[in-house]
Amino acid sequence: MGLDTAKLRKRILGEHLPLLLCLLYFAALAPFAEGFATSYNLVNVFSAMLPLLVLATGQTLVMITAGIDLSATAVIAMASVVGAMIISGDVGWLAGNPLAVPIGIVAMLLVGAVVGAINGTLVAWFRMPPFIVTLTSLMFFSGLAIWSTQSKAISALPHSFLILGGNDWVTLAIVATVVGGIHILLTRSLYGRWIFAVGHNPKTALVSGVPVQKVLVGAYIAAGLIAAVAAILITSRMESGSPVHWQRNLLDVIGATVIGGTSLYGGKGKVLWTVYGALFLTLIDNSLNLLNLSHFTIMMVKGLVILAAAMLDVLRNRENG
Amino acid sequence: MNTGKPSIKTALRFDSIVKEFFGVRVLKEVSFEIGEGKTLGLVGENGAGKSTLMNILGGNLQPEEGSLWFGGQPFSPRSPADAEVAGIAFVHQELNLFGNLSIAENLFVNCFPTTGGLINRSRMFNDTSAALKQVGLNLSPDTPVDRLSAGEQQMVEIAKALARDARLIILDEPTTSLTDIEAGRLFKVLRDLQQQGITLIYISHALEEVANLSDDILVLRDGEVVGNGPKSSFSQSKMISLMVGRDIDHLFPPRSHTPTRKPALRVEKLGRKGVVKDIDFTLHEGEVLGISGLIGSGRTELARILFGLDPVDSGNITLAETSILKLSPAARIQKGMAFLTENRRDEGLCAEASIADNMTLVAAPRFKRGPLALVNRESISLEVTRYREAVRLTKSAQNTQQVKTLSGGNQQKVVLAKWILNQPKLIILDEPTRGIDVGAKYEIYSLINQLTQEGAAVLVISSELEELIGICDRILTMRQGEITGQFNQGEFDREKILAAAIH
Amino acid sequence: MTFLRNPLLALTCFLSLLLGGCGGGSSDDRITIGVAFETLQTEYWVAGFDAIKAELEKRDIRILEAIADSDSNRQLQQIKTFVTRRVDGIIMVPKDAKTSIPAIKAANEAGIPIVLFNRIADREGVEFVGVQADNFALAKATVDYMVEKARETGRKHKAMVVLGDMGDHNAIGRRDGFFAAIDGNEDIIEVVARVPSEWNQEKAQAGVVNAFQANPDISFLFTSSDFLFPSIVSALKAADKYHKIGEPGHVILGGFDGDATAWQMMQDGYLSATGVQDVYFEAEASVQAILDLLEGKEVPELIRDPGFVIHQSNMEAMKDRMWGAVISSGN
Repeated sequence: MGLDTAKLRKRILGEHLPLLLCLLYFAALAPFAEGFATSYNLVNVFSAMLPLLVLATGQTLVMITAGIDLSATAVIAMASVVGAMIISGDVGWLAGNPLAVPIGIVAMLLVGAVVGAINGTLVAWFRMPPFIVTLTSLMFFSGLAIWSTQSKAISALPHSFLILGGNDWVTLAIVATVVGGIHILLTRSLYGRWIFAVGHNPKTALVSGVPVQKVLVGAYIAAGLIAAVAAILITSRMESGSPVHWQRNLLDVIGATVIGGTSLYGGKGKVLWTVYGALFLTLIDNSLNLLNLSHFTIMMVKGLVILAAAMLDVLRNRENG
Repeated sequence: MNTGKPSIKTALRFDSIVKEFFGVRVLKEVSFEIGEGKTLGLVGENGAGKSTLMNILGGNLQPEEGSLWFGGQPFSPRSPADAEVAGIAFVHQELNLFGNLSIAENLFVNCFPTTGGLINRSRMFNDTSAALKQVGLNLSPDTPVDRLSAGEQQMVEIAKALARDARLIILDEPTTSLTDIEAGRLFKVLRDLQQQGITLIYISHALEEVANLSDDILVLRDGEVVGNGPKSSFSQSKMISLMVGRDIDHLFPPRSHTPTRKPALRVEKLGRKGVVKDIDFTLHEGEVLGISGLIGSGRTELARILFGLDPVDSGNITLAETSILKLSPAARIQKGMAFLTENRRDEGLCAEASIADNMTLVAAPRFKRGPLALVNRESISLEVTRYREAVRLTKSAQNTQQVKTLSGGNQQKVVLAKWILNQPKLIILDEPTRGIDVGAKYEIYSLINQLTQEGAAVLVISSELEELIGICDRILTMRQGEITGQFNQGEFDREKILAAAIH
Repeated sequence: MTFLRNPLLALTCFLSLLLGGCGGGSSDDRITIGVAFETLQTEYWVAGFDAIKAELEKRDIRILEAIADSDSNRQLQQIKTFVTRRVDGIIMVPKDAKTSIPAIKAANEAGIPIVLFNRIADREGVEFVGVQADNFALAKATVDYMVEKARETGRKHKAMVVLGDMGDHNAIGRRDGFFAAIDGNEDIIEVVARVPSEWNQEKAQAGVVNAFQANPDISFLFTSSDFLFPSIVSALKAADKYHKIGEPGHVILGGFDGDATAWQMMQDGYLSATGVQDVYFEAEASVQAILDLLEGKEVPELIRDPGFVIHQSNMEAMKDRMWGAVISSGN
């Protein structure tokens, strides 16, 4: 009996700790935050979580290779602007064309793939540090997006496009496909094994016949594509293409991934953990808004809560290690 | 003060020391003593409790029962700092120096001599020079440590111990990464230390070294003292049988197989400027070919070129009658090559990953199914079970356990299993038994035998000539990037081989 | 189990501490209005926020606040939170004319009356009441005064205009007001520089410096917002163009908003005129509009804040209604 509870405890603390934290946080705040536990609000929480979750899943992929992708929000800006320039009923190049929406979506995905390919090539073939490479991409493509629109938002997007991020069920289906796909990729496929091996030890991976450079480029392209999917959802939800959508949320993306338990040093990470991390951050944001704290208090409290969660993680690792 | 002659005082005494981890006794009432100025040779297989014992002495671990006496006083170090203050110094297998700092800074890294709060550099340099002279190193104190060879770094570690007036120095596998010449220098320095009356504990798998250096021998097995006494009462084979708990008549299993005449690998006129030159040889199916040479002779570089990790300027490499010169390592693996590198930690393992993931890394592409390249988990786990038995991995290890938690010998078995699982036709082994114990070595030799019986060709690179003589059908010597000699089984002569490799 | 208990205990303590600090949301029967601002980064928005708060307190209305930190996605979440908390009305400063439409839609869907304060959005399938300064008329009146002063100098002037974010209706109105005032006065005013600022200090500064390099003889400058004055003044000083009215080399300066910097510059004799938005009027009108809507009264789609031009000759008389002057005297 002792063994079983110990095993269960280890499993909960090792695998599902962030979920436990979410539940605990929810239970602790429900009596105080008015409307926290209402179905309207819970739908809100889940709907707000979806774009963050998609982005954090891409981040997880890159982080497992011991990299980081700071360019995610620049992909959103660039893809959002490019997509809207194509499909907008006002100023779109293909305004009124029945194929505008599919072409726009393909173009947005292409933007993500191109940015990812640039990042991956510089990291894998030129052996530049991922932090610098993606930071540069972030600056360049955010700047390009603002410059090409003169920081104006582009609206009048076709109705068929607005469904993608506006209807929670459609969004959920898209997100579940992406997140589930990456989960299967990481846990079941050859490519997933290679990603972990490269993250653990690229030298060993190379000697063992893993195409290290291709794996790295692939991971960054995948992350770029995933960020483009997020761009589609966000552009649709905000009913406008804009170079400033989500520009201040980059650290939420990285935060959700790391709080979930994915290691910044590579080789360790799970999509499920990232789901928990995204849920945790969204819950914090939502609850602090409900508590009617001032903006600056929210930022401070959020920092402290994340610190507390990270500290708990350190304690947990010390116990296990 | 201490003349040391008339009655030998006890320097260190372990009295019924017991240590438990999670309820498992890893040290079972260990008792022994070392006389002042004497050298104790400590031997035992990996996992016998040597490290635990030394960690207790170094203050990293505290015993559950028993007592420790040092210099006639009860001694219970709570931290490494306590041990250092008492005059105990460690020279580790994995060197613990800061590569970016100078020798002098390394020597005084946590006790810089100061005057008025500032570091007194001239005193630091003078003290360092004196300590370096003692260990026979003719180097400037501001040389950065990462410019030193492994052997020189070892000497710096010893100089560090001397600079801190250590009375007891523990050497843990000090010769693992040294060339024969460097090892010779180390032994000379150790003899000097013995003359000066410093007490030594010498831990090594190289039993010959232990026998040469020590006054007394202590053999540990499964956390118990199974042999303790003056070295005269221990023959090498007695040490081995005590260590492994059964009789091993020979260090090497008998070669039951004779090589074919069918070439597996043909190397012609292979050259790379400044690295290797005019390398010509043929390796046959079922043959074990050894390469002997000093560090820097080009032996490891040759292996890396053969495997496609380093570029080549001229010549040709033919595997199974087709040239592989232009192929990537991955493509060579597909053609049946395998390469166990000399550096297990950096290039052989993913230390944080599980045993199963490490074992299946090379062969994983063979288990992919469908357009998504999903890996068939059932068949892959069957292979893991099969091959961990084949390499005799310790039964206590779980497949999901991290590789870094295993002993050196078991880690090496995982690397071997990783390659064998892909059923290679040609396997290159660079220092396959470095830093692992006698029992594991024997098992690895048996495995090499078994591979050749199944028709594989094996190329072994080793610093230990005894090992090559014990397991090879043929030995090539290398010096300065060239092959300088070839010796067939039956004409192996230690002196002649060494002469070809060194002069 | 001790391990499990300790950190979780710590977390629980931490959470209860957090809650002790905020007092929780005890419901009462008063009317509740949610106030959602895009940013509090400039004095103008702080003054507007404070004016609304004061107005709500005066009327004993409960206030919920939310600042979006220039992020329209966050603003959407905040409006949804207001819906969750069943506020009776919402006063919002949208991020811009387009990206805030989903947030307005969320309020519309919940049937909660919403007033956009000072900045309005496109009316694309959404309903709201806008309270806004008449940017065009006020900017035109301000520049008219500047042109009059220019004419008094009896010589020709080269002019520079610092523009705002062109996604913002206010910025467009002010730009159009500026050119309407110049129209017909081309005999003495030639516009040689249009500096885009996107409501950003650094961009404004760089643009003004560049414009002076290209046209060192610019002597007429209008900025679409007073909050850009610190960077404009530093650029003027760098070009040795910052002199008082009447001194040689003086550049005729005009602005919009009426903030504390502008008030100081006016007192010191550097600034000729600025168009003042009457935040007290706007705050009062916003709150009144929500109360009227709740009572089912008819409310116009757009409530105009006429504002006023404050200039060297009327500054003493008008200072009590200029929010920048009020803030300054409050300190």
